[in-house]
Amino acid sequence: MSMGPFQIKDCALVVRMADVPPAYNLRELYDRVRSCLPDSIYHHFCETPLRATFDDPAFRNDFAVWSHRALNDDILAERLGILDPYDFGDIEELRQIVLDIIDDRLSEITHVPWAKSGQELHFLQALTVIFDTGRRIEDPVELPQAISQMTTSSLYYHFLEARRRVEGRLDDFTAWLQDWNDRGKPLIESFSVVDFYFLSLRELQTELSHATDQVLKGILMC
Amino acid sequence: MLNRKLAEYELVVGRPVLDQLHQLASSLTGMRVVHVNSTRVGGGVAEILTWMVPFMQELGIDASWQTIEGNAGFFRTTKMFHNGFQGNPVNLTSSDIKAYEQTNEANAERLRPILETADAVFIHDPQPAALLDSCPNREGKWIWRCHIDASHPDRQVWKYLRRFLADYDASIFSLYSFSRYLDHPQFIIAPSIDPLSDKNCELEQGEMDKAYSRFGLDRNRPLLVQISRFDSFKDPVGVIKAFRIVQDFAPAQLVLAGGGATDDPEGDMVLNEVREEAGDDEDIHILLLPGDAHRTINALQRISDIIIQKSTREGFGLTVTEGLWKSKPVIGGNTGGIVLQLMNHHTGFLVNTPEGTAHRIRYLLQHRGRMRIMGEKGKEFVRENFLLTRHLREYLTLLLGLKKGFTNRLIAA
Repeated sequence: MSMGPFQIKDCALVVRMADVPPAYNLRELYDRVRSCLPDSIYHHFCETPLRATFDDPAFRNDFAVWSHRALNDDILAERLGILDPYDFGDIEELRQIVLDIIDDRLSEITHVPWAKSGQELHFLQALTVIFDTGRRIEDPVELPQAISQMTTSSLYYHFLEARRRVEGRLDDFTAWLQDWNDRGKPLIESFSVVDFYFLSLRELQTELSHATDQVLKGILMC
Repeated sequence: MLNRKLAEYELVVGRPVLDQLHQLASSLTGMRVVHVNSTRVGGGVAEILTWMVPFMQELGIDASWQTIEGNAGFFRTTKMFHNGFQGNPVNLTSSDIKAYEQTNEANAERLRPILETADAVFIHDPQPAALLDSCPNREGKWIWRCHIDASHPDRQVWKYLRRFLADYDASIFSLYSFSRYLDHPQFIIAPSIDPLSDKNCELEQGEMDKAYSRFGLDRNRPLLVQISRFDSFKDPVGVIKAFRIVQDFAPAQLVLAGGGATDDPEGDMVLNEVREEAGDDEDIHILLLPGDAHRTINALQRISDIIIQKSTREGFGLTVTEGLWKSKPVIGGNTGGIVLQLMNHHTGFLVNTPEGTAHRIRYLLQHRGRMRIMGEKGKEFVRENFLLTRHLREYLTLLLGLKKGFTNRLIAA
């Protein structure tokens, strides 16, 4: 069993327009979700915390936010808003669920809701660059401080984005801690109870740093 | 050029954010990057390049800044482009087009060696856009950076410029709602503010105190401030109307401060309207400030209780960002980039009318605790997303994309 150091990586993104026209109504949302690239679905569900914004919406994905704000359809917003993109095997599975939800909603309503001019949904995607920070975590005891000193994008890469890469949809910290057997277990448990999907990256950083700190203090006191 | 080092931003953004810039730039060492615009002084683009070029150099990129030179005819044409981009109908004549193309060709003669050998060329706004046509042996990637709202341009202007823009490798817009379809990748990079500039840096209490005495303001009564040019789209008359409603309920003071308008006949007209509307009300302070009164503006924003930006038409609205950076709730017009910055009850309020403005001012004056929370939240949003370090990071990310190809996911070496 290797217990090599944890390589702290980071990512940076720049948003770009996707190659589909904006959606002005619910039927167009259906069409655009069906035809856009998987990267666009991924961006609208997963990369929203990394985007430069003043917004702190009630829902974490752009389709739910748009349904709520522009279409005034809270039923649809709630159904889309509860989707956790990390629960799905791949983006195509997520895309199909979104299409099913929109299709169900279209069959329930008597008219197709439209957004006001200027509130159309622009489909986006991102150019993301991943790079090595050169920093390493040699031992789990260093985790609280390392997490508190990471950029939020680094935390995104290791704790959220990792679930797309790592077998078993694990975050990178958990995957690394598994090699540390009993020393890793309490920390893994502390990560597993964090409902990360509803936290901003800054809140997530505070939460994880606090959780790991508490676990390690508990171990030291025993 | 800016005489400041990136390390000076550590106290504002933290070490990890600066480390991130160095890590990203490590794959760009020696890359030849040229920015081209039409002026070194004045205007938002020059302000951005004043810090961006030296910071890119500090990060090891071989960055330079070139400007094009033109005569009055050229700038008259590009002013028409500017108006046309904002949707105003314009009538381009063949002599306007000739002035534009000849000026670009003449500048290309001078700049060709540096432009054709650069790895990346950023052409800012429409003025130098035709340079690309005169650089047929270009080796690097060319990016058109549009700082203005291009979403509803005059058809004639857009059709004419589109033939130059189509050959660019990519374009950048400030907001997705400002973009216009072009047959190449279109990136979105929002503007930013410099937290250490005179307009945004922390001030000593004494400097803020001076603003009270200098302008005859009463520190014991609420102060409302709008910082804007005297331009009808900024609706200063609407702000006074809102203030009149507020005065019936709260003993407040209003400052309307903006740059001089001596070379702008419309500005003079608006200023006269504003003075007429204010009448002899001693609680309305109309301040005509010189263009370099950045610290005065900073002080006025910092001593205010509420910042107003009641525009009826706006670009990104960096005055709103600056207001939020001062930890103040902002009441802004429901237009342009202001819509993206103000979230009702979170960072401020969006309004459409003087009545709506008055309503929100009264609400805030009765909820001081709420004002403080909103102010703190607004400042943190700006710190996370709208400081120049984020702006620079996105340019570095884009440069890596240019270097390695525009796939959506890249691993930097």
